Amino acid sequence: MYRYDEFDHAFVAERVAQFRDQVERRLSGELSEDAFKPLRLMNGVYLQLHAYMLRIAIPYGTLNSKQMRMLAHVARTYDRGYGHFTTRQNLQFNWPKLSDMPNVLAELASVEMHAIQTSGNCIRNVTADHFAGAAADEVADPRPYAEILRQWSSVHPEFSFLPRKFKIAVTGAERDRAAIQVHDIGLHLKKNDKGEIGFAVYVGGGQGRTPMVAKLIREFLPEEDLLSYTTAVMRVYNLHGRRDNKYKARIKILVHETGAEELARQVEVEFAQLRDTELKLPEADVAAISAYFAPPALAERAEGWESLARWKKADPDFARWVQQNVQPHKNPDYGMVTISLKPIGGIPGDATDSQMDAVADIAEEYALDEIRVSHEQNLILPHVALADLEPVYRALVAHGLATANAGLITDIIACPGLDYCALANARSIPVAQEISSRFGSPERQEEIGELKIKISGCINACGHHHVGHIGLLGVEKKGAELYQITLGGSGDEHTSIGEIIGRGFEPNKVTDAIETIVDTYLGLRLDKSETFLAAYRRVGPQPFKDALYGGSTAEAA
Amino acid sequence: MTKIWKETGFVKNDPWVIETEETKATESQKPLLPLDALIARAEESNDVGLGVLIKPADDVRKLEPYLDRLEIVAVAFPAFNDGRAFSHASLLRQRLGYANELRAVGDVLIDQVPLMLRVGIDSFAVTNETALKRLAENRLPGIPHHYQPTVRTADDPGSYSWRRVSRTIS
Amino acid sequence: MVDKVLTANRLADGIAVWLDAGGEWTTSLQDALVARHAEAVSALEDIGKKAYADNKVVDVNVVEVQETDGILWPLRLRERIRAQGPTMVYAKGYAPADPEFIAV
Repeated sequence: MYRYDEFDHAFVAERVAQFRDQVERRLSGELSEDAFKPLRLMNGVYLQLHAYMLRIAIPYGTLNSKQMRMLAHVARTYDRGYGHFTTRQNLQFNWPKLSDMPNVLAELASVEMHAIQTSGNCIRNVTADHFAGAAADEVADPRPYAEILRQWSSVHPEFSFLPRKFKIAVTGAERDRAAIQVHDIGLHLKKNDKGEIGFAVYVGGGQGRTPMVAKLIREFLPEEDLLSYTTAVMRVYNLHGRRDNKYKARIKILVHETGAEELARQVEVEFAQLRDTELKLPEADVAAISAYFAPPALAERAEGWESLARWKKADPDFARWVQQNVQPHKNPDYGMVTISLKPIGGIPGDATDSQMDAVADIAEEYALDEIRVSHEQNLILPHVALADLEPVYRALVAHGLATANAGLITDIIACPGLDYCALANARSIPVAQEISSRFGSPERQEEIGELKIKISGCINACGHHHVGHIGLLGVEKKGAELYQITLGGSGDEHTSIGEIIGRGFEPNKVTDAIETIVDTYLGLRLDKSETFLAAYRRVGPQPFKDALYGGSTAEAA
Repeated sequence: MTKIWKETGFVKNDPWVIETEETKATESQKPLLPLDALIARAEESNDVGLGVLIKPADDVRKLEPYLDRLEIVAVAFPAFNDGRAFSHASLLRQRLGYANELRAVGDVLIDQVPLMLRVGIDSFAVTNETALKRLAENRLPGIPHHYQPTVRTADDPGSYSWRRVSRTIS
Repeated sequence: MVDKVLTANRLADGIAVWLDAGGEWTTSLQDALVARHAEAVSALEDIGKKAYADNKVVDVNVVEVQETDGILWPLRLRERIRAQGPTMVYAKGYAPADPEFIAV
């Protein structure tokens, strides 16, 4: 993974000093809240219902044990002993003091971490496939490019006051595990017929109030043009994105109102002027950055095959965990492990300081010291020898991190919701907990198969409900919570926005509704190999509407 | 009380004024013309030493034929978080090669001055008290390590092509 | 007129607070000063503006409450959660909100 050089260390130290000065001026009253707010947002500091919230950047979801231990230390020392992993591969602390934040950021800087641009109207954390560098189906590792974009976008003087936030995601396989089509810019790293590296460029995807699937505006962008082309997109957006209405200020609205073809043309015109400037990426620089992401030296561990078979036979729980939570690695002696942060009945995405420390220890001992955060709020150990799966599993069990539910119905994605968030209309966490408990039986989950439930507590869609196979959107109606259900969404390479199926459900009716939907699916699927999503795409919403609303579909709430 | 600041210090007797319904340029002052008015004046006269005020929604590239007639271009920040003028400044310097005075007007606050300097803005109409104080003390809250090349001269740190280092704190 | 209290978040640590009868900011909603008529509400708003301008608190708001048997109960679910904290067990050593208080 990337390691800071002198330049990076100096930059982060200067940024901490700058923010320390700003915090001091704010606390003394010299800086007003209006002037301070965009500055604190650009350092990841939100004000929530109960306290401030600090969002720490985990670049493209990659971190090592030293960094994870620091997160545990911060949780313990400055917060209430836990943190929350987010749908953008970041980490949130819910109770830090503003007066402590410069010290927190200084401590993070000592392990090459920061909270720069995790909020504000600027370019946010560049996310990537959480299986990057390990997945068997990967064409090329997207992370070097995510790292180049991360650097280039840090305190960019032209793009620090955009009309609105800007999110970029990169994927390097045909299977899209980074949801690039619901990002402002989505980059699909690929090779052309000549074997040259480049990107398919998508622009204008997003969720929130007006969910939209991104438009392909460039079939193949050569690698060396990454920064100049991105600059062109950003400049067009900065100049022409709407600033009159906060809810119409994302680039997706600009693409929609201008038309994708016309917008692509405007970008090409600007790009033509930028292409041969100092923004052209030298091969040497790409090679140097890529070197940080070179595949680790993986020892041959062929003994794992036999051990694994033996362990699975001896322990059905272990076998189930391997089946569900271990994915094929490029190297046949290895696997990619998903550490579930979705214990049955638990809070999705939360981890205590002890759990973070445990993951750090396991990663260091068994996983070449590499950890990932997925946008589905789980942790990943991308390189684990099959021969080490059993001790890893035991260590995870000891810390409540071995729930065998990756991609299953209890692997729920939920935003913090009204329990924490000042923007929310309804709670998400208790809803997730109840659904998880209802469907907690491993046999039942296995029977149902892959089913992604995503819950958002408001229209901002931080829970990504629009791309849930089952999506839940919490709204407020007459002072009470109500949940709208959408079906058939997906964030993969065949991205689709879920369809609202009818009027909403009260909190105490939601889990029953989910059960009805699941039973309907089980009743009409061709066979066990037809997933919920595939079945929905085959039969459409009607059978589900009939089951839920008894054949007379009322207007959506 | 609005003062004009440059890196060389506060400027006395600055002649440029933004005209309103109530305020017009006096004998010793010169107006910063709105874009359309500037284009008309340049087309209809041989005047040089002109000044123009670029608003956020203006297309700054329309100035291209008249750059040599301009002594000053002012770019407006009606609210400090309206970042369009950063692009106007970048285009003026990098694309159009404009080399004369480039001034930030409007909601100019100390925390954005380092970013404005980096995109090539070299003078500032400042009203905010904290900003005036910090500028008088030459205490700019900038970061001298940069991850982007911009038109403002900065050193190559001998590292990746996109990085620069400022000698001054901006 | 519905009873009202003044709430905000402390600048230095962000913790949710309410204005009490002594003019101090308390972390307990139940100690909040209740405004029962228009002039009292107006006074609360003025105090709020001043406290914001004095950089003691941020995000100042007047919120509606109902007083029953001496217990102050915010009319909005959001404010009840603010008063009591997250509604599930979320951290060791911190009790979740009282479900009866939170309920609609």
